[in-house]
Amino acid sequence: MTTVIMRTTARAVVPIILVVALSLFVEGHNLPGGGFIAGVLTTTAFALLYIAFGLDFLERGVLGRDIEPGKTPSRDRVVIAYRRVFSFGLAISVASGLVPLLFDLPFLSQTYVEFENVPLYGHLELASALAFDFGVYCVVVGGLLTILSVVGAE
Amino acid sequence: MTAVVLAAVVGSLFALGTFLLLRRDLIRVVWGLAIIGQAANVYLLAMGEIAPASFEAVPILAGHGEEASHAQTADPLVQALVLTAIVISFGMTAFALVLSYRVYEEHDTLDLSELGDQD
Amino acid sequence: MDGLVITPMLVVLVAAVGTLLFRRQPRVRLAVSLSGAVGYAVAVAALAWYVVIAPAAPGIATYQVGDWPAPFGITLVADGLSVFMLSMVATIGPASLVFSARYLPKYDRRTFYYPLSHFLLLGVTGAFLAGDLFNLFVWFEVMLMASYVFVAYYGGPQHTRAAFWYVALNLVASAVFLLAVGGIYATTGTLNMADIAQRLADPAAAGIDPAPVVGLLALLLSVFAIKAGLVPFQFWIPTAYRAAPPPITALLAGASKKVGIYAIIRLSFTVFAGAQVPVSLPWVSGSSPLAFVGPILFVMAAGSILVGGLGAVGRDSVEGVLAYSSIGQVGFIAIPVAIAATTSSPTLRRVGILAALVYALNHTIAKGLLFLAAGTIESATGTTDLDELGGLAGRSPALSSAVFVGTLALVGIPPLSGFFGKLLVFDTAVRAGAASVLALLLVGSLLTIAYTSRAWNRGFWGVRTPAVEDAAVDPIQVAILVGLAAAILAVGVEFESVYRFADAAATAALDTESYVEAVDPQAVNGGEQP
Repeated sequence: MTTVIMRTTARAVVPIILVVALSLFVEGHNLPGGGFIAGVLTTTAFALLYIAFGLDFLERGVLGRDIEPGKTPSRDRVVIAYRRVFSFGLAISVASGLVPLLFDLPFLSQTYVEFENVPLYGHLELASALAFDFGVYCVVVGGLLTILSVVGAE
Repeated sequence: MTAVVLAAVVGSLFALGTFLLLRRDLIRVVWGLAIIGQAANVYLLAMGEIAPASFEAVPILAGHGEEASHAQTADPLVQALVLTAIVISFGMTAFALVLSYRVYEEHDTLDLSELGDQD
Repeated sequence: MDGLVITPMLVVLVAAVGTLLFRRQPRVRLAVSLSGAVGYAVAVAALAWYVVIAPAAPGIATYQVGDWPAPFGITLVADGLSVFMLSMVATIGPASLVFSARYLPKYDRRTFYYPLSHFLLLGVTGAFLAGDLFNLFVWFEVMLMASYVFVAYYGGPQHTRAAFWYVALNLVASAVFLLAVGGIYATTGTLNMADIAQRLADPAAAGIDPAPVVGLLALLLSVFAIKAGLVPFQFWIPTAYRAAPPPITALLAGASKKVGIYAIIRLSFTVFAGAQVPVSLPWVSGSSPLAFVGPILFVMAAGSILVGGLGAVGRDSVEGVLAYSSIGQVGFIAIPVAIAATTSSPTLRRVGILAALVYALNHTIAKGLLFLAAGTIESATGTTDLDELGGLAGRSPALSSAVFVGTLALVGIPPLSGFFGKLLVFDTAVRAGAASVLALLLVGSLLTIAYTSRAWNRGFWGVRTPAVEDAAVDPIQVAILVGLAAAILAVGVEFESVYRFADAAATAALDTESYVEAVDPQAVNGGEQP
């Protein structure tokens, strides 16, 4: 699939997907969106990269590392990083749920603060659910990319 | 009218899923499982109702999105349920696919009649 | 103090994440896992003390996750029934986790074992505490996801195939569960169990027609019967139990299975019993959905007792015998539930549930002990095939006596916990005046004696085989088994307090009113203005 058309399209589309994912992630506490769907979209961007440039692209092309040809893909450093993102995300989600307990509120309680007159932005609303969502985002991205790169390599 | 269409969709999805579930090819079986899961999701979505928005029916509107309070709202509960169910069935289908890949690696076939059922 | 309700879940959740984070440091990971196990037992004990045992205990406690009020938010409810089930899990869960620490070193490279076993525990705990139907579904799935991976744990053709059937069956079951959830939502306009019970008890005030509930309950019943492994949904049990690692099988048989039983009791008796739906089918009639549940459950239970007993007599491996035996034992648990559903006398109903709970407690500890023992035998001798075993009694007296106690508890010899379980089940049947049920229970008990004595004779007595001669029995594994055997004995000796606990659980299962009152769903008709 590494045709010129495919590569050119991927170059144009991947940044757009990432921006859309980011916007879905940020507004997820209030509007349609959230960690899960943003994570899935981000994964799609990575999948597109894999399809257009090959499975080694991230490790060799972006990170500039040499890969040994014969080794199993699950030992790839990128895959290890994905797994780490997964555990990290799970830890963040759980921790963000535990924080309200410190304030004597029930598990998973959420709140939000609003800022007026923020430069450039005007009205800004910051929700504590964002931390939980970020954890979910990391879990989805890490989990899906692990599956994708390990299964894709076989 | 919508109800009839939805009923037909759910019905045919279940029929298709069951049909695939009974095939001999393992990949078809996984497809059947995925389709049955989706049929259940569509059904679940159809179980909601469209009601005039009120804080009683949709408590999350209180404090957020007041401008929606005069419009008709779709039932948010079924949507939340379906979202969760989709995530779960997505994960499960991926797992079933990986398993069938392993079955293929270990048996060199995906034909259920060749896999047999020996203990 | 209501925070105690969620503590067991938080403990295992944190332990699961901790074991995942420290997967590169085996010692730290083990420490996190073990302290999670101990913390779980402590948390459940504290919850049981607070809710049921303590003087002036409230009998029920609720917790609203995220501070959303009852019919909308996620409700966790710990009443007598939930706490009793949790206490059951709190005996076998930590035992299995500690056992794993000794059993697993050779497979230590698999990093996901500990996180997943904690997630399994989390799913079971969540299912027992869930106060609404959809969360019950979600916790079921959490539990199942972990168990899927464990069934496929060892790889190898047979196990992969077993895992595939298991996954396929449960995916279909999940879809059916979702159908039932959707139907109940469309019928009653809510999924909160207390709210459902409230609306079904007074359908006119809520403006609903409760008639579809009977069919939906039938869907739910089949889903839970799959989880519990009742005939005709028992076929996945032998292969799945053989494929999973023994400590996990102990958890699956001891804890996951009971979730099915718990869900049947909770939904049929606490939630749907109040609905006034005339049921008139051939041979079945009554005014509540229970009249429909009873006969079906009875047929399933009778089938389970026979299939499990006959199957176990013919097996040639320890796990095979145990797997079929647990099909039969679930039948014994379901019989009194069926009687309780059919009867109209409140006393008999309570006695039936009580018998089922006591029997379930016995089965959890005894069968957990025996599955763990199968693991010990396997790691000591390298086989669980009864043909290659023999003379274990002389080779390892401690292991053998623990297994002996477990077997006697299954058979039902006083003063072990199994005796009281069987006694109460027979008592329920006698009170119901059903001679045929008594005959069935007698046949089931005889089959139990047959397969346990057969397994015992072949495995533990007789000439020592080479495999047994070279066995290296792990002392700590045996210590855990002896501890569980002591628990079986303790339940029997201290039965009076166990009985009181179980009685409180049975009363709570039938007390819809205080359940609704504790959850206190502010009745709001979704969309329909009164």
